[in-house]
Amino acid sequence: MTGSIEVVYRGIFQKTLGQRITRGIVLAAVKEGKVGISFGRYGDSPERNGIPAKSFAVVADNEEDLQTYLSRYEPTDNDVTVAVDDTLCKGVESWAWYGLQPINKLTQPGGVVLTTSMQSPEELLEDCHRKDTEWSLAVLKGIASFSGLWVYKDDHTDVRVLGAIARLAPHVVKLESVEAAIQDEWQDELKVTSARKAYERVETRKVGPDEGNPEKPYEFQLPKWWEMKEGLVIPGIPVKQDVEGWEGGYRPGRNPTFKKFATRTMRPVIDFEICTKCTLCWLQCPDSCFDVTPTGHYDANMEACCGCGVCEAVCPVEKCVTMVNEAAFGDNASQFEMYEKDTDTYKSWLKGKIEDKVTTDRYHGFQLRGKYEEEVQEIIREVTK
Amino acid sequence: MATELTVLPTQNLEAFKGVKKLTVEEYFTSGHRTCQGCESALVMKLMAKAAGPRTVILGSTGCMYVANTTYYSTSWVVPWMHTQLGSSGSAAVGTAAGLKVLMRKNRIKQEPINVIAFCGDGGGADMGLSSISAALTYPEYNFLILMYDNESYANTDIQLSSMTPYGANTTFSPPGKARRILHKRWKKNVAGMLAAGHPECRYVATVDASYALEMMNRIRKALTIGGPTFIHSLDPCPKGWDYDPIQSHDLGELAVETGVWPLFEIEDGVLKFYGKSKGIAQGRKRKPVREYLLRQGRFAHFTDEDIEYFQKKIDLMWDRWLIPGAVCIEMGDDIRKQLARAEQEVAAAEA
Amino acid sequence: MSVSTKAAPVADQEMLISGCAAIAQALRLSDIDVVTAYPIRPYDTVMQAVAKLISNGELDAEYIVAASEHDQFEIVKHASAVGARVFCGSSGVGWMYAMEAIAVTPALRLPMVALVGNRALDDPGAFGCEHNDALCVRDLGWMLTWVDTAQEALDTALIAYRVAEDRRVFLPCAIGADGAFLTHSEVLVKVPNKEKVDQFLPKYDRGDKLLHPDNPITIAPQVNEDWVMEIRKQNDDAMRRARGVIQEAYRDFHKIFGRQGGNPFVESYMAEDADVILFGQGTLSLPVKVGIRKLREQGHKVGFVRLRWLRPFPTPEVQETLSRAKAVGVIDRDYSFGSPNHGAVLYNELRSALYDLPNRPHVISFICGLGGREVTLDSVTEMSEILLKVAKTGKVEQPNYWIGVRG
Repeated sequence: MTGSIEVVYRGIFQKTLGQRITRGIVLAAVKEGKVGISFGRYGDSPERNGIPAKSFAVVADNEEDLQTYLSRYEPTDNDVTVAVDDTLCKGVESWAWYGLQPINKLTQPGGVVLTTSMQSPEELLEDCHRKDTEWSLAVLKGIASFSGLWVYKDDHTDVRVLGAIARLAPHVVKLESVEAAIQDEWQDELKVTSARKAYERVETRKVGPDEGNPEKPYEFQLPKWWEMKEGLVIPGIPVKQDVEGWEGGYRPGRNPTFKKFATRTMRPVIDFEICTKCTLCWLQCPDSCFDVTPTGHYDANMEACCGCGVCEAVCPVEKCVTMVNEAAFGDNASQFEMYEKDTDTYKSWLKGKIEDKVTTDRYHGFQLRGKYEEEVQEIIREVTK
Repeated sequence: MATELTVLPTQNLEAFKGVKKLTVEEYFTSGHRTCQGCESALVMKLMAKAAGPRTVILGSTGCMYVANTTYYSTSWVVPWMHTQLGSSGSAAVGTAAGLKVLMRKNRIKQEPINVIAFCGDGGGADMGLSSISAALTYPEYNFLILMYDNESYANTDIQLSSMTPYGANTTFSPPGKARRILHKRWKKNVAGMLAAGHPECRYVATVDASYALEMMNRIRKALTIGGPTFIHSLDPCPKGWDYDPIQSHDLGELAVETGVWPLFEIEDGVLKFYGKSKGIAQGRKRKPVREYLLRQGRFAHFTDEDIEYFQKKIDLMWDRWLIPGAVCIEMGDDIRKQLARAEQEVAAAEA
Repeated sequence: MSVSTKAAPVADQEMLISGCAAIAQALRLSDIDVVTAYPIRPYDTVMQAVAKLISNGELDAEYIVAASEHDQFEIVKHASAVGARVFCGSSGVGWMYAMEAIAVTPALRLPMVALVGNRALDDPGAFGCEHNDALCVRDLGWMLTWVDTAQEALDTALIAYRVAEDRRVFLPCAIGADGAFLTHSEVLVKVPNKEKVDQFLPKYDRGDKLLHPDNPITIAPQVNEDWVMEIRKQNDDAMRRARGVIQEAYRDFHKIFGRQGGNPFVESYMAEDADVILFGQGTLSLPVKVGIRKLREQGHKVGFVRLRWLRPFPTPEVQETLSRAKAVGVIDRDYSFGSPNHGAVLYNELRSALYDLPNRPHVISFICGLGGREVTLDSVTEMSEILLKVAKTGKVEQPNYWIGVRG
């Protein structure tokens, strides 16, 4: 008998977290006399921050079963798919392939998608794509844990996920073995407690085939060898897109096959009323995501925004550009069009997004030495309570 | 004729007179797969915008290759071609030479075409230094080599390069129990070195994309002056430096404000500091490097002693180098005396 | 491609020049656009000849003295991408120093022509002939040809441009020339006039692969496992097409210049009725032919087949010329340590090519003439006798022999 777990994470800022989870599963399985392997998708290995990547754990009763499973290379029927950032429920467009993969695509029928989130399962189901078969959505309450490669934010997300997996897939690893493995690895009783509490607290909801986001995910058909241009030649991008009614504005040409819909964890909301058209957000955006509107405003196009927040950092007008958790949005519509259409509606929408602290509070990595330590104390108090 | 040297005319790219006077078009656009907050992607964008549509760009292996142009798609509007890790210099020479001869033989239209080859710090300061050095000796070709320096082999897994700052954590220099600081080398001053050693190179500058307008205008100046030119850009890297991507811009500014990254240009052999570095060179107070270092996870293991050492090295650069950031040589006593004498003589003559 | 075969008015000029100088003449006639030089013996005499052509105004090209072989090959690679006809070359470890640039050129489909003045690889430093330098590109998508004489060098250089720049091919081509004898001896060479060459060799047209602001393309983005096999398959297809394009080129060459009328891929010498055949490439053909004439006088039916194109490998021609022999001895001026039967490179290539024949000859590996050591008449006799014995007995006692080694 074999079991497999897939961890979807956001590149380098969650790489250690992803690895700790898949390693933890194997170490726990070993406690049960099983064998296992923990590995990352090699194609994801440049590990861009923000861009989804995957790590896997496969465990089996014996070597032969493990080999049989691994001969397929990448697990495609996971017992549990873990999304360590809930915005990944919108889908996975990896560094390594084209097209949007639903978060539950590689979850086996009847399997579980587990995510750490402050959202309710119902809210998350607006993002998760529909699946032909029944599956479950499990939520472990908490904000997405981000930290870089050098300084790990040890907020116990790793062990909490392990504890939750023991509950959701006991045939893969049992709680006792997870606890034993955590104790071995970190000699930290508090971590063991976190895992146990997560085991108790994880909430699961069954999802039927008729539930979830009905949108058909963007697919990409790989061409045949003779359909590709010889000499590694790819046509360049046109300098601009012609947009009706945008005379005097400018929307740059954009890569037609790689969009940033799944890369983003936050997005800027812009108060066009107080914008001074200083150009800085547009100029300093590494992703050229701002369209220049005919009125000379700058409209962050969600096709291209990867949510880095530099626009907020450079904007000289207070509260003109505000980064908001991507989870708060259900579409990728143009904010400027909304603003033009009905300014009052836009303003109240904007206010709502900025004020929604449940979903807006998040950041993505090291900001100042000592900051993690302060926060982690509080988080751990909460999760071990 | 023994001294005949044919140099083709360049495009006359006048300085942008303010952010509101910028051209709107992008020639490096969205859809690349770089990290959130990638300052090097911004460098590409600004570089292409500054150069304009009649430009050919060559990119050596590194983040700005691997992440920008994932096969079957691209983010380049202008023609772009990959070159090998250590080949930015050769790519620039080959492209410029090819265009030049084909124009001379009337096989393509005669017009000034910008040629830009870029490389990372690994491709430029490590492997490709010889190729860049050679390239800067061909006065008959017009091209710019831009080195985007994110201070490590950030594409590969963040391994240290000769441009990684002292003590920084990389996968090749992890702080350990026995050795807190594994990387004890001090970064090369590439721009200064290349300017000092290549008399035919008419323009060398350091830039920082946090000062976008000033950066673009340096690129435009390099392309307009012509011949072989070189620009060194310092690019904060959220992945390798380990910081929240929202800080990219601030760290770019802090690098200059702390004096870690002096901004200067050397035009026809004359060096000028510009931007905030100008004030620093004139004695304005620098921010302590501590402010810069403690906002990056790669320095999180630094003790106060390490920070102090770093500060001292920066102080030394500003106080003792012949030209801070460019020439790490002090004048000997003889030369000092001679200069003092000469000054006295001039003063006496004027009196 | 159709080529006018109208005879040109000006006669060929006969010049006393070395193989390298003959290639330089071909470069002049091909009106190359960019050439890069870096010194290493023996190939670099071609660059010395080019430098003179440039300084005397006989050739209008960007002549660039590079700072290393890697720079050399990268510079012409990029010049080729913007539409320039380019030439480059190296020898021995110089060729190896450039290997990264050399390896990336075929997939870019850049029709670079390069001369490899074959030289032993360091260490120890030696500048005599060995083929292991050029053989390093055997598997990389380079077309690879070996020439025997200065005349053939000149002709092959013209043919190389014609084939490489054919858009059905667009692959680089390396011309192997044995160091010393060929590169450095001066012989009488027929140098054709420019009009004839212009008839034979159209202008290099990169078409929609041209890197230019008028054709904004991206060349060679990073790929992952979803793409590499398809790209390799495209190169494989181009190499397969090269065979027919080579045949066309030789046919036209013969019509226009009156030379190179034989089989483009193999030269066959007294092989039709031979019991045993020596097989090799490059300049060893001279002592081998002389040796064979002597053996024939003694009544031994010995023949010789010289391979002219190693890539694409002419399997049908090789099968055809060798199938009637009882034993074939492959003379390699190279080695492949630890390879099957401890034979050398060409031996194993040939053995593989003959494998499907219903009645294949015995194949013996002769490692000979390494590091510039001459292949002597005595060596030819020794190798032939070994083959004759195999032919007579039908038994292979030993699959390989080091010929001419002391001990």
